[in-house]
Amino acid sequence: MYGSASTHDLPTTALTGLENEDPILLAEFEARINRGEKIEPGDWMPALYRKQLTRMIEQHAHSEIIGSLPEGTWITRAPGFRRKMAQMAKVQDEVGHAQLLYSAAETLGKTREEMLTDLINGKSKYSNVFNYPTPTWADSNVISWLIDAGAIVNQLANAKGSYGPYCRALDRICAEEAFHLKYGHDAVVHLATGTPIQRKMMQEALNRWWPAIMTFFGPSDKMSVHTEILMRWKVKMASNDECRNQFLDMYVPKIWEIGLTLPDANLRKNEETGQWEFTEPDWEDFKRVINGDGPCNAERIAVRRAAEENGAWVRRALLTPKTQYVRPLA
Amino acid sequence: MNPTLDLLYRLADDQLILGHRNSEWNGLGPILEEDIAFSSMAQDKLGHSLQLYSLLRALGEAEPDTVAFTRNAPQFHCCQLVELPIGEYDFSLTRHFLFDHAELLRFEALATSSYEPLAQVARKLRGELKYHALHANTWMKRLGTATDEAIERMQRSLDFTLPYALGIFEKTDAEAEIISSGLFVGEDELRGRWLESISKVLAQTALEVPDVLALTPVMGGRYGQHTEHLQPLLDEMAEVFRLDPTADW
Amino acid sequence: MIHSHDPRMNRLGLPDAPATAAAKGALDQFGTYEAFHQKKEGAPFVYVGPVHAPEADVAFLFAKEQYSRRFACTGLWVVPTAAITVTDYVGDQEWAYDSLPLLTNQQAAATATADPRFGDDTAAEEAAYAAGEEDYDIFHLKKRGKAHQHVGKVRANSPAQALQVAKAVFGDQRPVVNVWAARSADFLRSDDEDRDIWTTTPDKKYRDAISYKVQDRIERFKAETGTSQAD
Repeated sequence: MYGSASTHDLPTTALTGLENEDPILLAEFEARINRGEKIEPGDWMPALYRKQLTRMIEQHAHSEIIGSLPEGTWITRAPGFRRKMAQMAKVQDEVGHAQLLYSAAETLGKTREEMLTDLINGKSKYSNVFNYPTPTWADSNVISWLIDAGAIVNQLANAKGSYGPYCRALDRICAEEAFHLKYGHDAVVHLATGTPIQRKMMQEALNRWWPAIMTFFGPSDKMSVHTEILMRWKVKMASNDECRNQFLDMYVPKIWEIGLTLPDANLRKNEETGQWEFTEPDWEDFKRVINGDGPCNAERIAVRRAAEENGAWVRRALLTPKTQYVRPLA
Repeated sequence: MNPTLDLLYRLADDQLILGHRNSEWNGLGPILEEDIAFSSMAQDKLGHSLQLYSLLRALGEAEPDTVAFTRNAPQFHCCQLVELPIGEYDFSLTRHFLFDHAELLRFEALATSSYEPLAQVARKLRGELKYHALHANTWMKRLGTATDEAIERMQRSLDFTLPYALGIFEKTDAEAEIISSGLFVGEDELRGRWLESISKVLAQTALEVPDVLALTPVMGGRYGQHTEHLQPLLDEMAEVFRLDPTADW
Repeated sequence: MIHSHDPRMNRLGLPDAPATAAAKGALDQFGTYEAFHQKKEGAPFVYVGPVHAPEADVAFLFAKEQYSRRFACTGLWVVPTAAITVTDYVGDQEWAYDSLPLLTNQQAAATATADPRFGDDTAAEEAAYAAGEEDYDIFHLKKRGKAHQHVGKVRANSPAQALQVAKAVFGDQRPVVNVWAARSADFLRSDDEDRDIWTTTPDKKYRDAISYKVQDRIERFKAETGTSQAD
């Protein structure tokens, strides 16, 4: 799972540092990307490319490991064997995705130790939606379906990006997410078409989550800082607005067809432009939450920290003197 | 109780409750990769219990979901070992080691059970159980020969857990018939094989193994006597399901 | 204490405002092993990714669940990352072996005797091993962004020589944008005897997208409730 939290700390063009790069190497690098070839870890790359990719893949990895928590909230309470086993498999997959993504980020030079340290000290961001709680089983289902759906829109775009290790990780992740999406849809449909208790639970969860879902792809492109160079380098692959529009196009009809409503009276598709119209999300609130003041920020970090601390003795015990670290290869 | 039902309920309940317990580690493990591996094994256990409850269903018992999510503690036949809280990783690994050795040997024996549907299930699980045992042995050997801190933790966990592990082999009134009808080789025989099997691995560690058969086993689980931990576990597990047990979730 | 909606977290007893956590020490997450899987019997082993692990046996346990739990797999190898020698990456239209240093005549002769074709002369092979040569596994990357694939083994007395021998032995293969070579002895490989550990995946339908078929239920709902609110 992933959201474009990264779009908030992109550099402005004034700070790219490109003037310090070797122009010949830079031209070769850009020519390779223009030819449609991937960049691999052994290649020369501009410092800015390395830095932005590291940040983006690392945030994506954090989003997976933190993203396992709101659904993990219901892992011991999933109703019935089918849901119980699938919920476990899904939460497991999120941890697996984090592992894949941390590995991809490591090929750029930042160690997993450094990334985990930054996470548990609140220095790194992760997708803001995971700072909201899942007070009912239905909330967990909303994430399984719609947050994963949003993530897939994002990830399919990023899988066409320029960095080989990230693409390989995303290919695997997207293949696994196919199950998540179907599972989430299945669970939501069962509630939405079920008993009055189930339908009420589902509608309330959707109402709670809709504002967060609308922020999932990040602020409107017209509000975002300049990202042209990252688009050119195929680091950022699709605009926030395009992703959001694609998501709404694919999923709003599916939400409506099962009798659920969305808490935005202005939500409608403009058939002339093909664009969805909606009430602008509360970006001030979004900023407040992403900067630490959301309902679950403290808990999410505290949980990760507890897991790391409780497991420290195990890792200490396993470490052997001959252990050496070199970056993963690809 | 009919010996086949008696045996199946014990097996299925053990798998369900331990699978549930082990799933609590999901997202909280000591290493990302281990988190994934431990979750797979928890899922496997849930899968085993579902297959066993399905055999019970074929014998006229209620649907697996009903059996798993609506009974209360006194109706459960699991041993007390599986219901204990997950504690710290040393305990969860030790329980995994002690239980999964018994599980592997039990299903090996059941592969030739006179009750063919059960024998079929047992043969199918072989590959999974092999991995579980490999995982348990690797960890036990690594931690049991590692730092003083790790050895001390594992020793404490082993000492605490062994009496509960002996409760796996608690016999029921149906035991004689279970053996004579060829359903299963019996708990005493299994316990002997288990002791030999765990001893081989423990001998490769710095851990001291007490005279296991001289320990007082923690019994009662097979007759519905449980620790104070089981009912809260069941209440939690069924919290959503019981909102409306007739609903399709 | 933080009160969570997750009962597991409440059992953990999370402190309210934890102090800053200490930075993780080097090697807290160990070194890495690279994993290769085989999708079906007889298929070449293909690179899937790394795992962090303290030893090969643990790396194997980890890689098995991380890389084979969701899709068919019939075999797995792990090797320490540090044990792999990597050539330069070249462009998708180029040949990675061209980036190897050119050999002197003497080196070329040594390479030729080292291994014209692997394993077809037992006596010569034994002599070579006795002289300190070892087997190396060779992997090719055919296109940037794809995964390295096993192409075979060569015998050599160093990683550098293994790459030179591979150039001779696998020289007819194009394209090759990158080559990995690692001593065969450094791999931990799944056992043929343990094949049954790979046969379990197809039974886990709950992890497959195709086992969630909900369209009938949607149609039934629409039929029962009339037109949907979208209309």
